[in-house]
Amino acid sequence: MSTSTGGWHADEDLLSRYVRGDAGPVAAASLEQHLLRCASCRDRIAAHVPVPLLDAAWERVRDEAVAGRPRRLERLLVRLGVPAPDALLVATAPSLRTSWLVGLVVTLVFVGLGAAYGGDRGLTFFLLVAPLVPVAGVAFAYGPDADPSHEAALATPYPATRLLLLRTAAVLAASLPPVLLAALLVPALSWTAVAWLLPALSLTAALLAASTWVRPTVTAAALGAGWTAAVTSASRAADPTAVLAPALLVAYAVLGCLALLVLALRSRSLTTLGSPS
Amino acid sequence: MTVVPTVALTGVTKRFRGTAALDDVHLTLGPGITGLLGPNGAGKTTLLRITATVLTPGAGEVVLFGTRPAGPEQLAAVRRRLGYLPQEMGHPRGFTGFGFVDYMAVLKEWTDRAARHAEVRRVLELVDLDGVAARRVSALSGGQRRRLGLAQALLGDPDLLLLDEPTTGVDPGQRVTLRQVLSRAGERSTVLLSTHQTEDVAALCDRVVVLDGGRVRFDGAVADLVATAAGRVWLADAPDPAARASWRTGTGRHRVVGQAAPAGAEPAEPTLEDAYLLLLGERARTTGVAA
Repeated sequence: MSTSTGGWHADEDLLSRYVRGDAGPVAAASLEQHLLRCASCRDRIAAHVPVPLLDAAWERVRDEAVAGRPRRLERLLVRLGVPAPDALLVATAPSLRTSWLVGLVVTLVFVGLGAAYGGDRGLTFFLLVAPLVPVAGVAFAYGPDADPSHEAALATPYPATRLLLLRTAAVLAASLPPVLLAALLVPALSWTAVAWLLPALSLTAALLAASTWVRPTVTAAALGAGWTAAVTSASRAADPTAVLAPALLVAYAVLGCLALLVLALRSRSLTTLGSPS
Repeated sequence: MTVVPTVALTGVTKRFRGTAALDDVHLTLGPGITGLLGPNGAGKTTLLRITATVLTPGAGEVVLFGTRPAGPEQLAAVRRRLGYLPQEMGHPRGFTGFGFVDYMAVLKEWTDRAARHAEVRRVLELVDLDGVAARRVSALSGGQRRRLGLAQALLGDPDLLLLDEPTTGVDPGQRVTLRQVLSRAGERSTVLLSTHQTEDVAALCDRVVVLDGGRVRFDGAVADLVATAAGRVWLADAPDPAARASWRTGTGRHRVVGQAAPAGAEPAEPTLEDAYLLLLGERARTTGVAA
C-alpha cells in the first residue's frame, strides 16, 4: 500500500466534521481513503473522538457479549411491551424455556389426536391432561424446585408475590392456547371444548394458594393425583365429561376465588422459606 | 447519641420438628466482621437465614437497622440494605456468570441497564471473575461458582453482609483475594461470616461467636477465645491419648491440646482452632473443624 499523500493533509475542521458525521458522503469517503495512507492524520483524528462516548459504546458491546443472548421469550416479552427487567425475571422460569414449550406442544398433539380418534379413552386422556398443563407449568416456574437460586432471590427486595404472578401469567399465556388448539381436535367435547378451562384455572389458583404453605411441585403432585382420581372415576361411570357438569363448574369457580383470597391473605409467607431444607 | 445496631436478635428460637435449631439466642452486631463458628447442626445456617429475613423465628425478636421487618415495606427496606450468600447457592440454567449476577441485580432493583451492568462488572472484578464472566455458570469450577455467589451478595455495597461458608471450595490464592474483599467490606459494613475455617476467622474477624446445639457458647473478641487455650497446648514427642486432641505435625512432634501437660512436653502458642476444640470438647472432634 502506498503511503504517499501528495503533501496534502486534512484540516482540523474536516476531521471534526467527519467524527461528528457531518462531513457529507463525498468528503467522508475521500477522507477515509486518505486516512488509510496517512499516519499523521490518523493520529490527529484521535483527538476529535469523544473518548467517554467510545468507552460507553465499548462497554455496551462487551456487556452484550458476556451477558449471553437474551432468551427468545425474553425478547418476545420486551417486544410486547413488558419492561426489560421483568421480562428477564419471567423468562428464567424453567417451564417457560423453549424446550419445555416444544415438549408441551408435542404432548398436546398426541393427546389431541388420541382424543379425536381414540373414543372415550382418548377423551378421558384429554380431560386428564388439559387442566393439569398450566398447573405443571406454574409448579416449575417458581420456588426452590424451579429456581436453584431461590433462597438468595428471597433475600432481595423484589416482591415474591409479583414474581409468582408474573410467571403464572406468562405460563398461562404460553400454555393455554396450544391446549385450546388441541381441544378443537376433540369432537366429543362439543361446547365443553373450553369448559375444562375452569378446572384448569381453579387448580392453578389452588396451587398458588397452597404454595404459601408447601413447595409448588408438592402441591402440583397432590392436585394432579386428585384430578386424575376424579376423571378416572367419572370415566368408569361411563361419562368422563361428568367432571365438567354445571354444578361442578360452579364449584370450580368458587374454589378458584377462595384460593385467590387465600393467596392474597397469606402472600407474606411467599417472602420466606416455607420449610427447612 | 445512641448508635442503632445493625442486627439485634433477642431470645430468638427456632424449632424444626421439635428439635431446637436455635435456642434463646441473643446477639447484637455492628460494623466489622464477626465470625460464626460451630459444628455441623449447631444452628449457624438457621441463624443466618433468620438474620437474612428468609426464615421467620419461632419465638424472639429480630430487629435490623432499628426496624422489625414485619410488613412488606419494612421487609423490602431491610432487604435493600443486605447481601446474602446462602450455604447452598444454585444457579438457574443457561446463564453466563455475568448474566447470573445481572439477574440477581434486577431482583435487587437495579432497573437502569447501564448502571446495573457497571455494578455487575464492578463486583465481578472484586471477586476476580471478570475474565470468565462470559462463560456459562455450568462451565465454572466449584470455587468460581462460590465467588459468583459472593459477587451477587456484594451488589450495591450492602450495609449488612451475611455469608454462609463463602470460602468453601476456594483455592488458597483466591481465598486471600476474598479476604481482601471482605476486610474492605468490614470497614464500613456489618459482616457475619459463618465458616468451618478457623483460620479465616483468625485472619479476618475481630469478633467470634461460637454456636453449639442452637445456643451461643462464646461471644467475644477472637483474642479472648484464643486466650482461653493459653497453657493448654503443648508440643510433645509422643501422642497423648488422655488429651482432648493430639496429632503428629509436619515436624514430627505431636501437638497436644488438653488439660494437663504430657511428660517432657513444652508449651506451644495456642491457636483459635485449639481454643475451639477445648471449648466444644468431643462435639468439635466428632463433627470436625476443617484445619
